[in-house]
Amino acid sequence: MKPSDISRKSECLCHVEPADLTPLPFPYEDYNDRTITALKPDKIKSIESSLDDTVAVGIPKPAGEEEEKAFVERFLAGLKKLFEKENNWTFLQPLILSMEHCAKCQTCSQACPVYEMSGGKDIYRPIFRAEVLRRIYRKYIKPGGKISARLTGDIDLNWTTIARLAELSYRCTLCRRCATVCPVGVDNGLINHEIRKLFSQEMGIAPKEIHDKGSVLQLSKGSSTGMIPLAARDSVEFIEEEMEEITGCKVNIPWDVEGADILLLHNAGEMLAWPENVGAFAIIFQAAGISWTLSSEAVGYDAVNYGLWYDDVQFSRVAVRHADIARRLRVKKIVMGECGHAHKALTVIADRLLTGDLNIPRESAMVTLDNIISSGKLKLDPMRNNFPVTLHDPCNIVRSMGIVEPQRRILRKIAPLFREMTPHGVDNYCCGGGSGFAIMSGYNFSEWRTLLSSRKKFLQILDAFSGEPEDMPKYVCAPCSNCKGSIRDIISYYDAEERSRIYYGGLVELIVNAMTDMKKPIISFGGEPSWA
Amino acid sequence: MVRLSSLPVHVRWEVYPVQHETASRVYYGGSYMEESDWWEKKQKRSLFNEFKYMAVEILFIRGLFKENRTLWLVSFPFHFGLYLMVAAFLLLMLNAVLALFVEGSIFIKPLDTLIIIAGWSGIVLGNIGCAGLLYRRLSDPELRNYSSFTDYFNIMFIFIFFLSALISILAGDPFFEGAKAYATGLITMGSSFNGYVPGSSISGTVSIISASLLAVYIPLTHMSHMFMKYFLYHSVKWDDAPNLKGGPVEKAIIKNLKLKPTWKASHIGADGRKSWLDIASEAPEEKS
Ligand code: SF4
Ligand code: SF4
Repeated sequence: MKPSDISRKSECLCHVEPADLTPLPFPYEDYNDRTITALKPDKIKSIESSLDDTVAVGIPKPAGEEEEKAFVERFLAGLKKLFEKENNWTFLQPLILSMEHCAKCQTCSQACPVYEMSGGKDIYRPIFRAEVLRRIYRKYIKPGGKISARLTGDIDLNWTTIARLAELSYRCTLCRRCATVCPVGVDNGLINHEIRKLFSQEMGIAPKEIHDKGSVLQLSKGSSTGMIPLAARDSVEFIEEEMEEITGCKVNIPWDVEGADILLLHNAGEMLAWPENVGAFAIIFQAAGISWTLSSEAVGYDAVNYGLWYDDVQFSRVAVRHADIARRLRVKKIVMGECGHAHKALTVIADRLLTGDLNIPRESAMVTLDNIISSGKLKLDPMRNNFPVTLHDPCNIVRSMGIVEPQRRILRKIAPLFREMTPHGVDNYCCGGGSGFAIMSGYNFSEWRTLLSSRKKFLQILDAFSGEPEDMPKYVCAPCSNCKGSIRDIISYYDAEERSRIYYGGLVELIVNAMTDMKKPIISFGGEPSWA
Repeated sequence: MVRLSSLPVHVRWEVYPVQHETASRVYYGGSYMEESDWWEKKQKRSLFNEFKYMAVEILFIRGLFKENRTLWLVSFPFHFGLYLMVAAFLLLMLNAVLALFVEGSIFIKPLDTLIIIAGWSGIVLGNIGCAGLLYRRLSDPELRNYSSFTDYFNIMFIFIFFLSALISILAGDPFFEGAKAYATGLITMGSSFNGYVPGSSISGTVSIISASLLAVYIPLTHMSHMFMKYFLYHSVKWDDAPNLKGGPVEKAIIKNLKLKPTWKASHIGADGRKSWLDIASEAPEEKS
C-alpha cells in the first residue's frame, strides 16, 4: 500500500487477520486465532471507521458536501499554522527538520512494535502517516505544489483522507523507538504528535478520554479522574488506614506543608487504582525522614498532563498550574511520582515554558528513591523479594529522559532475582499504552491495544520470565501508572496470572516489601502474602 | 540553513542516548537528570564526544550500518563516493593554487597521488552506490512504494556524474589532468583553457557540468540530509540544554511567550490578541 492509498474508497483500508499477528508462544497458543472483535455496524454508521478494525477518535460523518469542504479547508488552515512560529514555536524547528529530510529508507519501520506485531501492515509504518502529511503539505500549502506533486509524490485530499489521518494519528504510541534508529535523525513520532495537535488545536478533534474526560476535566475539576480536592483528601485518608492494615505501619501523609523540601506529584489514578503505590511512597519518605508534602489544591494532586500527547495549549495550562502550586507552597523541588508522561511533561517539555519563579527544580522519583536507598536510611532485607522481577522501562522516563540506572541500582539491591528484558533501557519497547492508549477504551480500541500495540511487551515479559518455574509468582515492575494500566490489561486479557503467575506493580511497593520495619508484606500474589 | 537559524527556540524533545553526555552515561543512554539536585552541580558534558560521534555518523553512516545493513551496503559507497569527490575537488583546487603561485612546491607530488586515490576510489564507490541504490529502490516494494519521480531523478543525476567521470578516466585521463586543468581554469578565471587539456572529452565535460549543477542542486533537495543531519541531531535529538534562571534559554522563552497564536478550536480561546502567556495562564470555562 502506498501513502496515496489513504484517499482510496474502501470500507476498511486495512484489516488484521489473526494469522497476520506475531504468534504467541506456549501456553498462549490458543490466543493465536484471536483478532479484534468486529465493530458493531449500528455503533459506527455515523462515524469515520474505514481505516482499520478499530476506532479511537470517531469523527462524525459530514452531513453534506458543504460540510466536507469546510472540513478540508479547516484542516489546511491548521496545517499552515503548524509551520508558523506564532502558532507553533514550540515544535517548529524539529517539525521542519523531520518533514524535509526523510530519505525514505524504511529503517524506522523495523523498530516500530505496532508495525512489527501487525505482521507488517503498511498503514502502521512510522513513515506512512508522516508521508501523507508531507504530501498534503507540499501539494496544498507550498507554492506551486499542485504541479510539483506529480514529481515529488501525489495525494488526493478529501474528507476521508483527513478523517483517516486523524484516526491514524492514534495508532502510534509516540514511543519514539523509530526516532532512535533513523540514520538521518527524522522523528516520525514527532510528526504524529504534530498531526494530533493540528486536529485538536484547530479543529477541536481528539479522543474524548484525553480531552473532554482528560485535560478539560483536570483543569475544571482538579483531576482527570474527576476527583475534586475533597475526594482526593478522602482517598488519601483511606490509604493511610489501609497501609496500616496491610503492613502494620502507621503512616501520615502530609498535605499542603509550606516550605517542605519536596512536593510529591502523583498520578491521581494511583489513588484510585493502586492506592498501595501512594501509601508506599509515604512509608519510604517517612522512614527516611524526608520533608515532603502533597498538594490538596485542584490540579496539584494530579500529576497527569495529557496535553503532552495532543495539545500544546492544554499542556501549557496544566504545567503552569503545577508549577504555580509548587511556587506558592515554596517547596525546594517537585518530585515526580511513578508516572512516565508526567515526568516528561513537567521536567523536560515544560522546561522551556516555565520562567522566573515558576521554574522550580523538578526531579524524578527514581532519583530521589535511589538517593534514599544509597544513603542506607532504610533497613532492607532483599530476601523478602525472593521472586523473579523484571523491569519495564517507561518510554517517557527512559528513552525521552535518560533516567535509566537509578531504578536499576535500587532493584539490584532489593530484588535478588532481577531479570532484564531484551532489549531494555533506552531500547526497550513501549507497554503499548503510551500517548493515551492506556486510558482509551471506546468502541473496541482496548482490544486493538492489547492485541497489537501491547503485544510486543507481552512477548518481552514472557521472554524475561522464560525458564522460571511456572508456579512461582513473577513481578513486572512498571514504575508508571499508564504502563501499569496496560500491563494490567495484558495480564488480564491473556490470563497470564492464571497461566504463568505473572503479577505487576510499581517500584516503591518492592522497596517497602523489602523493609525490615514492615510487620506484613505490602505485596501479595493473588491473595497469598509474598513473605511470611 | 539560514531559515533554521532564525527559528525560535523550541521545547526540548531530546531522545537518549545523547552523545554529549559523559562517556559512562552515553554507554547506556543516561542523562544528567539521573543525578539528584543536578541543577546545583556543574555539568560534565562534553561537546567533543558529540563531534566524535557525528563525524563517524556523517562519514560512515553508522546508524544505517547498525540498523539496516543491507541498505548500508549500497548507501555507504554512494555517500562516501560523494564525500571523496568533494575531497578530490578541494585537493584539485589546492593543487592548482600551488602550481600557479608556489614554484617547485614539494607538495605537488603527494597532492597528485592523493588526487588520484580520492578521485579513483570516489568514482568507483559512487558508481557502485548509484547502481545499488537504483536497483534497491526499483526492486524492493518497501522502498518503491515511497519513491517519487524526484527520488529516481536525484539518483540518476548523480549517477550521470559518476558514470561520465568513470568513462573519462578510463578513456584516457587516469591521472585527472583534465580536472586539474579545469581547477586551474577556475582559479585563473578561465585563462588556462587556452592551452592544451589532455583528456578533455565529452564525458569529461559532462562530468564537470553535472558536478557544478549538483553542487547547486543538492542543498535545495532532501539530499541535503547528508549535512543537515548535524542539525537534526545537534539541535533536536540531543538538545537537552536546561532552562537556567536568567540564562539565554529563559530569555528566548520569554520572547516566545509573547507570540500570539490564532488556533481556532474553541477550547484554545485564541483571538489573535492574546499571547501564549495569556492563554497558558488562564483556563477558559469549558463544559466537561
Ligand atoms: S524516517 Fe528515517 S528511518 Fe524512516 S524512512 Fe525516513 S530517513 Fe529512513
Ligand atoms: S513512535 Fe513508536 S509507535 Fe509511533 S511510529 Fe514510532 S515506533 Fe511506532
